[in-house]
Amino acid sequence: MAGDPPPERSDDPFREPPGAGQGWTALSYLIGGIAVWGLIGWLVDRWLDTGGIAIGVGALIGAAGGIYLVIQRLGQ
Amino acid sequence: MSGQVIALPLADVPFPPGVEDFYLPSLIPWGAHESYWFTKITALVWVTTAILILFFVLSYRNPKMVPRKAQWLAESTYGFVRNNIVVDMLGHTGVRFAPYLTTLFCFIFLNNLWGIVPGVQLSPNSHIAFPTVLALISYVLFNWIGIKKFGFARYFKNALVPPAPLFILPILIPIEFVSTFLFRPFTLALRLFANMFAGHLILLVFTLGGFAMLNANLWLAPVSVLSWLMTIALTFLEALIVVLQAYVFVVLTTSYMQGALAEEH
Repeated sequence: MAGDPPPERSDDPFREPPGAGQGWTALSYLIGGIAVWGLIGWLVDRWLDTGGIAIGVGALIGAAGGIYLVIQRLGQ
Repeated sequence: MSGQVIALPLADVPFPPGVEDFYLPSLIPWGAHESYWFTKITALVWVTTAILILFFVLSYRNPKMVPRKAQWLAESTYGFVRNNIVVDMLGHTGVRFAPYLTTLFCFIFLNNLWGIVPGVQLSPNSHIAFPTVLALISYVLFNWIGIKKFGFARYFKNALVPPAPLFILPILIPIEFVSTFLFRPFTLALRLFANMFAGHLILLVFTLGGFAMLNANLWLAPVSVLSWLMTIALTFLEALIVVLQAYVFVVLTTSYMQGALAEEH
């Protein structure tokens, strides 16, 4: 079995993950962005006592970053 | 007579089902309360492993040019993972990973399948320990092959630094880090575990719910029957999920390996 020649494939061997992989990548960028910058915002909020504003700003920055990454890495 | 409860000769059915239904009594030693090293879950994993080893060894011990049923099944399983997943995503050089990924696929598939085998109906993967270990293996594997190919510094630069203007990199790098190195193993394990956990719980709800309604009021008997019919229908839905989750786990592992081996993102 292992010795059989694998079938030819025409396209570029290094392309973005197709199908399911792409969807999960996009989702993890968006959630990851909001989560990590929301967390940083929360820390800043605890430090400077901004009454929750820093969390919102952080989440927005994260969402923007996540969308940027999705467009940059998946949208061609 | 309204409100009258008709006692049926049914044992008291525990309802609703909960997390405690996933923690089964010890088998060896029988009924012990301090040691839980061998339960139905452990037994099922061992049986799965034994079936897999026996199946692949026996079906390929005496291979024929015109394959018989067992050999055909083994060859098509391997061929499916190798050609449709591995070669498709990793290219020809990725064929060296095909044996592992096929084993992974079969192992997850069989372990999931216990969730709908009549009389067993509990998947070891509904305990998060098993998906966690499988996800950790995938995690180490994709990082390992990436580091091996590019070296430590270049691999992490590839993975963490997207081609973007310098001033937004501080925003993007933490996101890349979280989504690649934290979310990947976490979601890989969680997806498989949650699907199997929920599947078992749903079957329990509809089966035990039928008994619970029958116990409460005999007039509910038709609804009970409906509930049990739903159990059968949902078992077929589970059959789909069993295959799908095994497939998704392998595809995502391969896709992470593809990402780790890619020259530039």
